Amino acid sequence: MAASGAKYGIMTSHFYWIGAVPAMLFIGVFMMPFYYGSKARSVPEYLKMRFDEKTRGLNAITFAIMTLFSSGISMYALAKMFNLVLGWNFNNSILLSGAIVLAYTYLGGLRSAIYNEVLQFFLIVLGFAPLAILSVMRAGGWAGMQQRLPDVMTHAWRYVGHADQNPMGVEAFGLVAGLGFVLSFGYWCTDFLVVQRAMAADSMSAARRTPLLAAFPKMLMPFIVILPGIAALALTKMGSGYALPPKGGGYDYDQALTTLMAQFYPSGLLGVGLTALMASFMSGMAGNVTAFNTVFTYDIYQSYIKPKASDDHYLTVGRITTIVGILLSIATAYLAAQFNDIMDFLQLVFGFVNAPLFATFLLGMFWKRATGHGAFIGLLSGTTAAALTHGLSEAEGKGAWIANIHHFPSQMAQNFWIAIFAWSTCFLVTILVSLATAPHPEAKLRGLVYGLTEIPSEEGVPWYKRPVPLAIVVAVCLVFLNLLFL
Amino acid sequence: MLDLRLPSGSFFAATGLILIGYSFTNPHAPMTDGNVDLYTGAAMLVFGAILLLLALRSRRA
Repeated sequence: MAASGAKYGIMTSHFYWIGAVPAMLFIGVFMMPFYYGSKARSVPEYLKMRFDEKTRGLNAITFAIMTLFSSGISMYALAKMFNLVLGWNFNNSILLSGAIVLAYTYLGGLRSAIYNEVLQFFLIVLGFAPLAILSVMRAGGWAGMQQRLPDVMTHAWRYVGHADQNPMGVEAFGLVAGLGFVLSFGYWCTDFLVVQRAMAADSMSAARRTPLLAAFPKMLMPFIVILPGIAALALTKMGSGYALPPKGGGYDYDQALTTLMAQFYPSGLLGVGLTALMASFMSGMAGNVTAFNTVFTYDIYQSYIKPKASDDHYLTVGRITTIVGILLSIATAYLAAQFNDIMDFLQLVFGFVNAPLFATFLLGMFWKRATGHGAFIGLLSGTTAAALTHGLSEAEGKGAWIANIHHFPSQMAQNFWIAIFAWSTCFLVTILVSLATAPHPEAKLRGLVYGLTEIPSEEGVPWYKRPVPLAIVVAVCLVFLNLLFL
Repeated sequence: MLDLRLPSGSFFAATGLILIGYSFTNPHAPMTDGNVDLYTGAAMLVFGAILLLLALRSRRA
């Protein structure tokens, strides 16, 4: 994210602010009762209970593919860091990072993945906060940076009126509807890792609190991960002795963080910072590999390939799946190497898979008339719409493999619009097909849909433990932060 | 339930101590004047100690 900070400025914080926080509030307040009430063990399993077997199968397969892409991106980022910082060969670095993650997920499974996740979070905060403070101070504080940089780098909203005015090449509608609504809600409300962790909570109200409390650190993360990137650009402009490494006609933004650390950190803390980065990439990989393992073994293998085998058999299959998952991640890592900004690539993948899925969930949870046929055909056409949009439009030389009928100013804008088209198509098609097919009997939908699910009363619970007041506090903080960096 | 406070507390306390140790032997980074290793190490040690303290208190209760 520091790379994007240097490239796009404070607008990057949209990925945290409108790109995550509202969705986290929505899942905590509105969606969690249905996830928790359904007692499903995975997202595909909820789809099976609410809709039917084929919807679950489709989701399980696309989800499995997506986890492989996500873990490949983390692997690519890690290998690139080994390559840049330690000077190791890229191919060997890929193999090494694969081997490390394989060793600890194979031995420790989900538990080691969760340990790593918690440790890496604190390590990132403690290991990068000094970098943010030091680099911003050196660049003359926030005021000094505002003076040295073009206005567009230090304002989050002022330049989103038109795509030409900001370096992301996005306009307000694409940003709010594409990132703020479809992509972020699609990720946070249907992501296996997010949902599974909340469902592991011991009560419904704890499950609803989880995403709400997690929204607080999420709001503050931009200060730790984006500010150093912006400071790097300011320091380059002021000839302070630090400069972003050049690449082509511009700068190599991917190296902003590591070069900055080399200038500001003595060797002790430099080691801690690099460890934090490695841990964060590895936790990304491990989380996705364990998710791939669960969904493949449980929702694909046990459901379709070989049902009713012994637990030992599934355990062995799970182990083999872990190895295969890592091998396939290596393949996607090389694919990720073809794209210049990893974040853009990730958004593209989400557009194909998560964006239509969010429409399915929204209808599934809040409209009891939605049917299995509707959901299945809706999902298929949503993903097709995503692929068509990508094939018919071009941005920075990417896409347009069918025909070039529209030009986007940036890949990011293209991804946002892919998500918007995919979501709208899935939403409309699901409604139309549902109306044309027979409704599910209401008795089958109990605990799964709004209006047929009991939401526990919260009398006597102190306000700071209730979801709605918590959500309001988060929302007020979010609005305040956005006004501050308007 | 896993108690994450014990392993994370010991991890940060140990990292803090190592950083403080480094701060006495180590030349400064090219663009900083202060002893960054010392300050960050001390902060990590305090953070780790608090986690350990919490873990021990809940264990006794």
